[in-house]
Amino acid sequence: MEQIHKITLLSDLTPPSLERTWLSAPHPTLPLLATCSADKTVRVYSLTNFRLLSTISGGHKRSVRSAAWKPNTKENVLATGSFDATVGIWRNDEQEDEDEGDGQDRDPEEGWAFSVLLDGHDSEVKSVSWSSSGSLLATCSRDKSIWIWEDLEDGDNNFETVAVMQEHGGDVKCVSWHPVEECLASGSYDDTIRLWREDVDDWGQVACLRGHAGTVWCVDWEGEGGGSTTTTTIPAGGNSSQISAWKEKHARSARLVSCSDDRTVRIWRRQPKDHHQQYRPSDVPSIIRPTGLEEHWDEEAVLPTAHDLSIYTVAWSKASGRIASVGADGRIVVYEEQFTTSSDDPLQTTWTVIDSLPGAHGIYEINHVAWAKRADRGKQADEEVLITTADDGSVKVWLV
Amino acid sequence: MSAILSADDLNDFISPGVACIKPVETLPQKSAQSSENPYEVTTEDKVQPENAPPAQISLTDCLACSGCVTSAEAVLISLQSHTEVLNALDTYPEEDLSHHTDEGTSLENGTHNGGKKIFVASVSPQVRSGLAATYGISEREASFMIDQFLRGPQGLRAGGKHGSGFTWVVDTNAIREAVLVLSADEVAESLNTSELGAGDSPKRPILSSACPGWICYAEKTHPFILPHLSRLKSPQALTGTFLKTVLSKAYGVSPSQIWHLAIMPCFDKKLEASRAELTDASWRGFDDPMQHIPVRDVDCVITTRELLSLASSRGIVLSKLPLKAPPSNFTPSFPEKTLNSFLFSGNFQSRQTLASGTSGGYLYYVLLSFQSRHPNSEIVIQRGRNADVVEYQVVSPTGEVLLKAARYYGFRNIQNLVRKLKPARISRLPGGRNGPAASGASRRLPAARAGGSSTGSANDYAYVEVMACPGGCTNGGGQIRIEDAKQITADPSTDTVLDGASGETNKASPHEQRAWLARIDEAYYSAESDTDNPPGKTLPIQDKEAQVRQSLQYWANYLDIPLPKLVYTTYREVESDVGKPKDVGADTARVVELAGKIGGGW
Repeated sequence: MEQIHKITLLSDLTPPSLERTWLSAPHPTLPLLATCSADKTVRVYSLTNFRLLSTISGGHKRSVRSAAWKPNTKENVLATGSFDATVGIWRNDEQEDEDEGDGQDRDPEEGWAFSVLLDGHDSEVKSVSWSSSGSLLATCSRDKSIWIWEDLEDGDNNFETVAVMQEHGGDVKCVSWHPVEECLASGSYDDTIRLWREDVDDWGQVACLRGHAGTVWCVDWEGEGGGSTTTTTIPAGGNSSQISAWKEKHARSARLVSCSDDRTVRIWRRQPKDHHQQYRPSDVPSIIRPTGLEEHWDEEAVLPTAHDLSIYTVAWSKASGRIASVGADGRIVVYEEQFTTSSDDPLQTTWTVIDSLPGAHGIYEINHVAWAKRADRGKQADEEVLITTADDGSVKVWLV
Repeated sequence: MSAILSADDLNDFISPGVACIKPVETLPQKSAQSSENPYEVTTEDKVQPENAPPAQISLTDCLACSGCVTSAEAVLISLQSHTEVLNALDTYPEEDLSHHTDEGTSLENGTHNGGKKIFVASVSPQVRSGLAATYGISEREASFMIDQFLRGPQGLRAGGKHGSGFTWVVDTNAIREAVLVLSADEVAESLNTSELGAGDSPKRPILSSACPGWICYAEKTHPFILPHLSRLKSPQALTGTFLKTVLSKAYGVSPSQIWHLAIMPCFDKKLEASRAELTDASWRGFDDPMQHIPVRDVDCVITTRELLSLASSRGIVLSKLPLKAPPSNFTPSFPEKTLNSFLFSGNFQSRQTLASGTSGGYLYYVLLSFQSRHPNSEIVIQRGRNADVVEYQVVSPTGEVLLKAARYYGFRNIQNLVRKLKPARISRLPGGRNGPAASGASRRLPAARAGGSSTGSANDYAYVEVMACPGGCTNGGGQIRIEDAKQITADPSTDTVLDGASGETNKASPHEQRAWLARIDEAYYSAESDTDNPPGKTLPIQDKEAQVRQSLQYWANYLDIPLPKLVYTTYREVESDVGKPKDVGADTARVVELAGKIGGGW
């Protein structure tokens, strides 16, 4: 029976890499997309016309595994993490003016210059992430460590190592900063998710989330954060009192989504600080045992099972609150949160699969999925697209 | 290295990676699907997770493996444990030296003496601080506790096959004083030579070399650092050389008849003790070196924590030992009067203060010594980006900066120091050459020059005290942990320390850890306040230096060995061959060779 899918192909990005494409990183403000490839390059595409703008090459000796745009800056700065154990920082001093993108002869490498190489990791770098302020860069590696670097922004491309965290018991697969706070989440081959904050003058683990029964491949934060003024995404089907109660609950909390080799997607919620003061069972009275920065997180939900194989990436839309996941089975799955009408708790929600598209890249595994703002001519206000990258090198843009 | 041996989660030096490939081999094979690009794919990525048993590395594994030098090191280190101490005490009867207290009478040599050994131990001040914090006693009482245990009648001598114990227990602070004076001399000399530190001095800035974690990291990862390293032996190593040279000379015995145990706050000191550079081969002349198996200056290193294990494995409860000096018949004097006084009088010792820090006070001593030669100059201290980075300046009365120095503790800060010292050329991205920056636009070159030299100030330093542990040596990876201390407080009848694995559940909060570390530091800083020496007896620094130099020269003359041959050491680039294609045969040969070079132990 032919099923009608809500996920529909909008376009391929062309020309693609001929080797595995690991990940795509949408620019925080411009309609640009950076993709990382096993051919050791980063390609920058226009999301307006879906064509290649630049190829950044010559920097890494092995696969570029991860890339991230530095937020909160006028320059275009890209951090790349490679299997060659290094992290590259690239700058484009000419504005990547995407309007000129088609029709003009452009040197595909025009504009991009390598500015600094951060070495220190001992093995493959798996993921890189900038904090919301753009001053901190987190990197993680197969060497089981997470490094935090500060961009000194002294005009001389100097970075300083701020912290090296080694608590994970295995390959650290991903790092992701909270959208507002200076709080870092990481996922690992040791099946845990860990959260990190600065305490006095060093960084330390503030929580360790256990629940997955396999490698945690990816974590992503829900849009906005505790106390932030940005809009909260609201589950579907709520009445006005539910919505305001929801907003209040959210202002004091934060949520993470994670996906794993155990084929599940899980949602985690941080308990509001004041809740857990007397929560902790302890042999020492709590007055002389300061709780410090320790955080308490609960597993809030396991999303409906929709994948047959390992799930590599999960992406939480900051605009719609929807979650997308992709993995080794070649499916794209999109989930939506709704208020539960039958529950006693008015803030109880359930997640449903709104579409599951098999074979989205043919027989190939899908390595990564990202949400981006739609920017082509057909766009409607605030419309979103999904971008997937696969083992055959292809990068596809989807409407949901 | 220490990632292997210190599997129980030290915050000791962060190793350059678990270099042995053995554990990887035990992982299940990658699942059949999705292997179209095996070249770039990390095998581990797609491996089905499984709770693989913790990797155990044995000597056989290392010799059979096409792996790495570091696993050979791990084996050498695993041979230094409290069990090894018990083995030595049970295997060899103790040489009775109570009749030899005067100027050395020759003992019977070699195999004719029934395999007897002279047992001697050296203890670092951070170990005493750790014990003091654990048992709520003073640093001096901790010193008595160690003495009673190692050489007193109710300690190790109360048991074992031969009732063997340690004849002398030496404070490494005595020899540390020599290292401090010589460090200041080394810096002074380097300031007098031309820009690039021609001749014998290390390149400026001189970096301290007493921390074995730091040395191991520099040798494996940043060979360009090696010319900067202070050539002085660490207090542990120099104490070893001192004890072995003097005792073997005084009693006319081979260094192999002396068994020297060092008790340290640090696991990586074991690695230092097994360095090929730190054996009698460095100070003894041999007619036929091929015939000689080198003997280490330090035979075995155990940590503060392992000292507790040593006690409990003999059923000795440390807290029940008398907290006073062992009886005088258990206290023979060292066989050479002048050197006995140098070693045991404590006359010259520098005070351990907040300013000198937790790691021996190398930097602070260099500053004091420099300051003493520049009357009315002042030491200005400025905290860096965190508590483990401190910058120092010696400023003249007119405000001129005479000397700059710094303290960098902890791996994260070491990264920044190393990056600043990195030659600019290497720090550029290799791809910069083919990329647009180099091929076309010269206007982008300033950007490409990034990273290395520009932050700049590191090369202005005359001296940098570098330690791998955050907080320095009082926070060494071999120290007693707060979790252990709690256990001991709860049940004082045993000194049993927790297994590494059980740590996670009762793990103390960062605040508790910090408070615990502060207690150890406090014990460390209060060390001099309860010695017998009346206050105010401290000599002017230059007089003291003269006396220390005189004692050292006396030692060299006594041995008839030039002093530099005794006090200096060398470093070498260690190539990590993990992950590189290699010839199996050659590598096995190398492991064997390394093992052979180090001697002892195997």
